Amino acid sequence: MLDFVISALMALTTVATPASGVELRGTAWIGEQRAANVVVWVDAPQAPVLPPPARVVLDQRNLAFSPHVLTVRVGTSVEFPNSDRVFHNVFSWRDGKRFNLGMYPVGAMKRQTFDRPGLSRIFCNIHPNMAAYVMAVDSSYFSVSDAAGAFTLPLLPQGTYTYHAWRPGGATLTGSVTLDSGTAFEIHWS
Amino acid sequence: MTVRLATRTTAVLFALLATSQIAAAQTITSEADLTAGFSNQEVEAAAAQIRVFGEIASRVQYFVEVALAAESGPETDAFSGAYPYEPGTRLIEAYGERLMQAGRLVGGVRAGRFRTPFGIYNRGEHSYNGFLRAPLIRYDEYFALSNNYLEHGVAAFFGTSHLLVESSVGAPADVGEARRRSGTDTTLRVQGYGGPLIVGVSYIRTQPYLPSTFATGRAQFTGIDARWMAAGVQLRGEWLHGRPFDGVSTDGGYFDVTVHRREMRQVSVVFRAERLDYETIPAFAMYARRETLGARIKVAANVTMQLDVIHQSSQVAYGYPWALDVGLTYSLRR
Repeated sequence: MLDFVISALMALTTVATPASGVELRGTAWIGEQRAANVVVWVDAPQAPVLPPPARVVLDQRNLAFSPHVLTVRVGTSVEFPNSDRVFHNVFSWRDGKRFNLGMYPVGAMKRQTFDRPGLSRIFCNIHPNMAAYVMAVDSSYFSVSDAAGAFTLPLLPQGTYTYHAWRPGGATLTGSVTLDSGTAFEIHWS
Repeated sequence: MTVRLATRTTAVLFALLATSQIAAAQTITSEADLTAGFSNQEVEAAAAQIRVFGEIASRVQYFVEVALAAESGPETDAFSGAYPYEPGTRLIEAYGERLMQAGRLVGGVRAGRFRTPFGIYNRGEHSYNGFLRAPLIRYDEYFALSNNYLEHGVAAFFGTSHLLVESSVGAPADVGEARRRSGTDTTLRVQGYGGPLIVGVSYIRTQPYLPSTFATGRAQFTGIDARWMAAGVQLRGEWLHGRPFDGVSTDGGYFDVTVHRREMRQVSVVFRAERLDYETIPAFAMYARRETLGARIKVAANVTMQLDVIHQSSQVAYGYPWALDVGLTYSLRR
């Protein structure tokens, strides 16, 4: 069952915004289906660093992590509140940031800073069916696809960038994209 | 017989999981655990639990769990972690819950059918955590409490994450071998949390599960429980004192440790030491001791093996001072 062949098609289109740059929009696909929870980011060292959001939260609610896939810029502190009636124990021991926040009850909240780029797999030791991903990227320009597979990156100056795309269970794709009005390209996973 | 039942159980399980997709209007998650196991105490067991839970509205949740099981072999307490293993299908929990949070204050009300809120009582802390047997103080027929005690009633909690008070009022609605007589139950639990430590004190006043011909009065227990966790090491303990009915008393508890550190990869190691002293006339008194060393091993995606080696005193050994329990669990979430 696990050795099925997955192909993905990611159609990216760019929409020029006259004042500030180009908004990169796209849709992620796995085979013929739209793919949710695909992380897309671009390397943009020359672009302005965007201000981080006031709070970045990975909630534990209804025996699940929410969102299932979270993308943050390296150095971001993520809040892990326990919004369930039962105890949870958040930990990540494989790749990326390694930590164990211990066990804590409803109403309590712990924080973890993701200070290096990479993927962290998040689990709860009490509820083995709970799992989430935190992708820390060295860029302000990232997005996660929604249920319809759609994603939108923040405005970028026109130019050529290296992009990356990752999804749970899939390989990370890397390529080049030139952003100007009318640019479009496809990516295939095989 | 066990295999046949397990096959039927699997079919029911997947049918229910498929059905749960239909009701996708609100948030809905379905889970299933399918377990098969054996013990050298000539016991084979198979079981499945199906859970459906989600949110009806923001912070208004529901939870329903059904358990199916079969067990063959002589009487033992093998495979009794958090569910009954007598043959049949049972509704375990079915409740709605409203959770509230305002600043540091948290509260909630739960109504329906739920596990008796005393001590360490949540399903997730007793099932498939590396131990295949319930603690002696939480096994059906050992004159204390039971992990299969259920309430039909209302429970409420209020406080902060650091100090929480929980109380319930209900009527017994137990599953398993020991079922309390009808009546009114009350529980009270106070829980403190700070750093890596969580400590609780619980009280229950309920009905005895034994016949009224000789078990008169009310069952009453007071307990203390603690959890400590740091660096992948979890220590837990529970101790209770009380009486299962008038004229007798029960003391007992357990201490367990779970170690799951990064270098152990897919393996968690568990150990538990426990005792139970039931004081009555000498002919019926019970002084049980048990030590368990085990492991929970993730052997494949969604498949977990549990392996326990048990040393036990004669009164709970049923002729086996040493026992080996093995369980294999397939878990699914959609």
